[in-house]
Amino acid sequence: MERKFYVFALLLLFAAGIAKSSAFVVDETEQVIITQFGQYKRTISEPGINFKLPYIQTVERMERRILSSDARSDKYLTLDKKWLVADPITRWRIADPLKYFMTVHDEARARQNLDDIVLSEMRREIASHNFGDIVGNARDPLMIAVAERASSQVKDFGIDVIDVRIKRADLPTEVQESVFARMRAERERIAKKYRSEGDEEAAKIRADTDKDKTIILAKAYEEAEKLRGEGDAISTKIYAEAYGKDPEFYTFLRSLTAYEQLLNAQTSVVLSTDSPLFKYLDNPSKK
Amino acid sequence: MRSQFGRNGGWKRPDSSNIEQVSEAVRRNKRKLGPIILGVLLLIAILTGVYSVNPGEQGVVRTFGKETGKTGPGLHFALPIVQKVDVVNVEQIRRVEIGFRGKERVPSESLMLTGDENIVEAQVIVQYRVIDPSKYLFRLRDPEQTVLATAEVALRSVIGRTTIDDAMTTGREEVQSETRSQLQTLMDTYQSGIAITEVKLQMVDAPDEVREAFHDVVRAREEKEQKINKAKGYNEDLIPRARGEARQVVRAAEAYKQQRELRANGDVANFLAVLEEYRKAEKVTRDRLYLETMERILRTIDKKTLVDRDVTKNALPVLNLGPAVVGGQAGGK
Repeated sequence: MERKFYVFALLLLFAAGIAKSSAFVVDETEQVIITQFGQYKRTISEPGINFKLPYIQTVERMERRILSSDARSDKYLTLDKKWLVADPITRWRIADPLKYFMTVHDEARARQNLDDIVLSEMRREIASHNFGDIVGNARDPLMIAVAERASSQVKDFGIDVIDVRIKRADLPTEVQESVFARMRAERERIAKKYRSEGDEEAAKIRADTDKDKTIILAKAYEEAEKLRGEGDAISTKIYAEAYGKDPEFYTFLRSLTAYEQLLNAQTSVVLSTDSPLFKYLDNPSKK
Repeated sequence: MRSQFGRNGGWKRPDSSNIEQVSEAVRRNKRKLGPIILGVLLLIAILTGVYSVNPGEQGVVRTFGKETGKTGPGLHFALPIVQKVDVVNVEQIRRVEIGFRGKERVPSESLMLTGDENIVEAQVIVQYRVIDPSKYLFRLRDPEQTVLATAEVALRSVIGRTTIDDAMTTGREEVQSETRSQLQTLMDTYQSGIAITEVKLQMVDAPDEVREAFHDVVRAREEKEQKINKAKGYNEDLIPRARGEARQVVRAAEAYKQQRELRANGDVANFLAVLEEYRKAEKVTRDRLYLETMERILRTIDKKTLVDRDVTKNALPVLNLGPAVVGGQAGGK
C-alpha cells in the first residue's frame, strides 16, 4: 500500500520535472533560441507555450522589444574646425537572435559594440559638416546617414538599428562664455538700433508735422490775402465809380469827415475872424 | 503526515495492531481532508485570478506569454499561472517635463543651441496618452524614458532650425507644433503605442548670463514705441490747431472781403443820396454841411482862441487861417 503511494508520488514528481524542463513560455517581450549542449537548434520569435527536449536542451531568452542605447556625450570636431558636444541615442532591436547570441551574447556587450560604431560614424559625419548645419538643417540627414552606416556594420551582430538621434548638440562649456559675449554684443547693437530708430521716427514725424503746419498756415495766408485783395479791389471800384460822379463834392465831404476825426477835446484851436465861419461875427451884412 | 508518523513509529517502536489503528484513522481523516484542501485551493485560485479594470483602463491578457485579448472596465477572471494581466490606463494624460522638474531648473536639459548659434533656455511640458496598450507594453522597453529622451531630441532639433528671436517671440506656436509632430513621428517609429497630446512651451528665454541684455532690448523697443507715440502726439496736437488757425485766418479774410464790399456799397449809397440832394441846391447845401460840421467840431474843443484878422496879419504870421482851414495844427496838452 505505502510502496505504491511512494512510487506514484515519485513518478508524479518526475513527470513534473520533465514537464517543467520541456515546456516553456515565450513572452510577448521575448524571443528565444534553443541550444542542445551548446549547439544551436532553433529560434522562436513568436510568443506562446513551447516544448523542448528536457534537460538536454536549453532556452536562451532575449529581448524582442525596441531597446535604446544612450552613448556618452563626446566632443567632435566639425568641418569648420569648431568643437561640438553631441550626445547620440540609438534605438535598436535584436533582429537575428542566433547571430546576436553568438557574437555579442548579452545587452551590455551589444551596447558597447553599438556605441563604438555609432560614435565613430558620428565622428566621420560630423567632420564633414559645418557646425551651423549640424545644429540646424543638416541634422536629420546626418543622423540618417549615421544610422545607415551603423546599421550595415552591426548586421553581423544580429542587431537592427532603427535610428540614431542627437539628443544634445551643444558647444563645449569653454566656448559658451564667448557665445554669451557675442549674444550680449548683438543685443546691445539691437537695443541701440531700436533707440536710434525711435529717435529717427520721432524726428521724422515732428519734422513732417512742422512742415505740414507751416504749409497749412501759409496756404491760409495765401487765400486770406487773395480774399482781402478782392475785397479791396471791389470796394475801390465801387467807390471810384460813385465818387467819380462828382469828385469835388466827394473831396469836400471827405474833408469834413476828416476834420471831425482829427480834432477833439484836447486840440487847441486858434481861429481867425477871417474864417468863413466867422464871416458875420463883426459884420452881419457882409456880402 | 505519513512520513511524520513513520518517524514517530521508529521512536516509540509500537506494535503492529497499533500501526493498523493509526493508519486506519489517517485513511478516514484523509477522506474528509481531501475535499477541504481542494476547496481551499480552488478558492485561492479564484481569488488570485479575479481582477478588476476601472473605467478608462484596459486589461491586456497574456496566455502562456502570448497576448490573447483585451478586457474593458469591470470584474474579470484570469486563469492563475497560465494567464497574466496588465492593466493600463488609456485615458490618463501623462506628462514629462523637460528643462525642469517641479520648481527646479535643469540647465543641462533646458539650454540649447538655436539656428543662429545662440543659446536659449527652454522649458517644455509634454503630455501624452497610451492609445495602444499592446504596443505600449510589448514593443518598446521603457516607454516613459523614451518619451523624455525623444522629446529632447525633437525640441532641440526644432530649436536648432529656429532663430533665437523667433523662438522667443513669434515662432513659439510653430516650435510647439513642429516639436509635437516630430515627437509623434519618432514615437510611432518606436512602436510606443503613445499619442502625444500636447507640447507646451513653458518658457523660452535667454540664459541667465545674457538675460539683462535681452531685457534691455525689450526696453529699447518700448522706448522706440514711446518716442514714436510722443511724436505722433505732437503731430496730433499741432496739426488740428494749425487747421483751426488756418480756417480762422481764411474766414476772417472772407469776412473782410464781404465787409469791404458791403461797406463800400453803404458808403456809396450814402454819397449818392447826398449828391442827388446837393445837386438840387449846391451852394446852400455846401454851406450848411460846412457850418454844421464846424459847429460839431468846435463844440467839443475846450481851448479855442479867436484872433482878429488884423492881429493875424501882424502878430501871428505863422498861423495861416485860410478860409477852408480851421485850426490845422493840433496843440496837444
